Amino acid sequence: MSRTSIRNKLILSFLVLLLLLMMVIAVINRLTDDYYTAQAISVALALAAGALFGGYFSRSIVRRLNSLSAVAREISRGDLSKDIPLLSQDEIRDLEEVFAAMVEDLREMILDIKNVASKMEETNRTLSSLSEKVLASSKEIDESAMAIAEGSEHQTMIVQKTSLIINNCLDQMDAAGRQSAKTVLKINNALVKTGTGETKARQTLGYLDNVLRQIVENTKPIYRLSNKVEKIRMVMHVMDEVAQKTELLSLNASIEATRAGEMGKGFALVANEIRSMAENSKQSSHEIRQIVDDIFQDNKVVIQTLRKSEEDVGKGRGIIGSMVGTFREMVSGVKEISSEVKAVEKVTLKQVKEIRGLLSHFEALSRLAQQNFVSTQKTTVGTRSQKEGMKKIVELMQSLNVLSERMKASHRRFRLRGD
Amino acid sequence: MDIFIFEAAGHYIGIEAKYIYRIADNVNIVPVPLMPGCYEGLIYYRGDLFDVIDMGRFMEEEPSTPHDDPYIILLKWNAEMVGLIPDRIVGIKWVEDNGGTGAVFNERGDTVELMTPGGIWKKLAGLAHGT
Repeated sequence: MSRTSIRNKLILSFLVLLLLLMMVIAVINRLTDDYYTAQAISVALALAAGALFGGYFSRSIVRRLNSLSAVAREISRGDLSKDIPLLSQDEIRDLEEVFAAMVEDLREMILDIKNVASKMEETNRTLSSLSEKVLASSKEIDESAMAIAEGSEHQTMIVQKTSLIINNCLDQMDAAGRQSAKTVLKINNALVKTGTGETKARQTLGYLDNVLRQIVENTKPIYRLSNKVEKIRMVMHVMDEVAQKTELLSLNASIEATRAGEMGKGFALVANEIRSMAENSKQSSHEIRQIVDDIFQDNKVVIQTLRKSEEDVGKGRGIIGSMVGTFREMVSGVKEISSEVKAVEKVTLKQVKEIRGLLSHFEALSRLAQQNFVSTQKTTVGTRSQKEGMKKIVELMQSLNVLSERMKASHRRFRLRGD
Repeated sequence: MDIFIFEAAGHYIGIEAKYIYRIADNVNIVPVPLMPGCYEGLIYYRGDLFDVIDMGRFMEEEPSTPHDDPYIILLKWNAEMVGLIPDRIVGIKWVEDNGGTGAVFNERGDTVELMTPGGIWKKLAGLAHGT
């Protein structure tokens, strides 16, 4: 429908009304001869038509304006549920449309405000929960940072003590390494001396073999002497027997001579002399026997001594042989000890090197622990400032809450369609 | 008179030389049971049996020094025969016949106890028998 302006409507209506009046006046003029009466009636009709038209026209405008006014009043009370009636096609229609658009915009704005308030509230709740969590986390971070700081401090102390102990260990291991080097030197000397001892023991064994052979050679005459002495004893036994028989014979001769009386006195004298000689012979034989026995005993002792010497030399040979073996074992043992001590020295030096590396790592660890301590201190400061910031955020959220409450309150003032 | 002197258990014993038959050695002595301790046994010498007495035990009734190869003094008188084992034989000495023991027979002044074969035999018969 095309729009018609009020001015055009007024002009068109006035022209229609004027046409109607002219037609009425023309009728009245035909019907009435009196001019003045016709004029008066025409004026009266014109005035009445003018008044009626004016009244009608103004009333229709006022009514629509009143309608708009009533809607505006409702809107001012917050009721946005009413629609703006679009009754005409004139300039008031523009006003109504503008007003309706304004009301629509207002509705959208109120809805937006509502949504924004709801979202703000929701966001506030989320932010509140998050801020509580952040605060709790900050507290935990703070406590953890404190614990880490204490741990770092403690760790620094332990690392420093450990470094000190490792330094002492290194000193001791250095000393052990030096001692190992000295021990290797001494073991080498011992090896040389043991080798010399083995050589000398071998030489002694050779000498002992010679001595043993010499002793065996030397004992042969003594064994022969023993046999000769035994033969002498046998001869002496025979001589004893001869002396005894002689004595017996002389005794019996004496008895026979005695029995012969005076005639046997000379024979008795001879028998006595023979007996005396036999006794002397027996005595000499006895003495010789004693000497031979002494020689025999001495020879026996010498032989026993020689045998014991042989045994002792044999034992000594065995002992020196075992000494040679022992020296050989000692040499091999000392060589093993030397190689083991060298290995220990090598391992010790390697350990010293590795422990030095470990010490440098410990120093780095100490520095890291100190840095950790500083970082945790900074973290503590940061968490504290974070807590302060969070407190401010909470305060701002509370302000936002107030604002959202106020927005909600504002929204509650309006009533939309469907509320 | 001529006295045959021998030593036994530290005593010098003398027997008149006329009773001495022989001095023997290397003779096997056969033991005889139930005889006194000083009785050594019997020997057989040139057809005769002789009773053998250890004079050391006879004098002291104690075992005398052992004899490896003892001399045995063989006595014969009135068809009696006995053998005496001395510790040592001194020999035949001439001593004054003073009718008893105690005669000095050497330079050291040792005295001799005179015995007769009958006296020895009689004393032997009076000894306790052994087992």
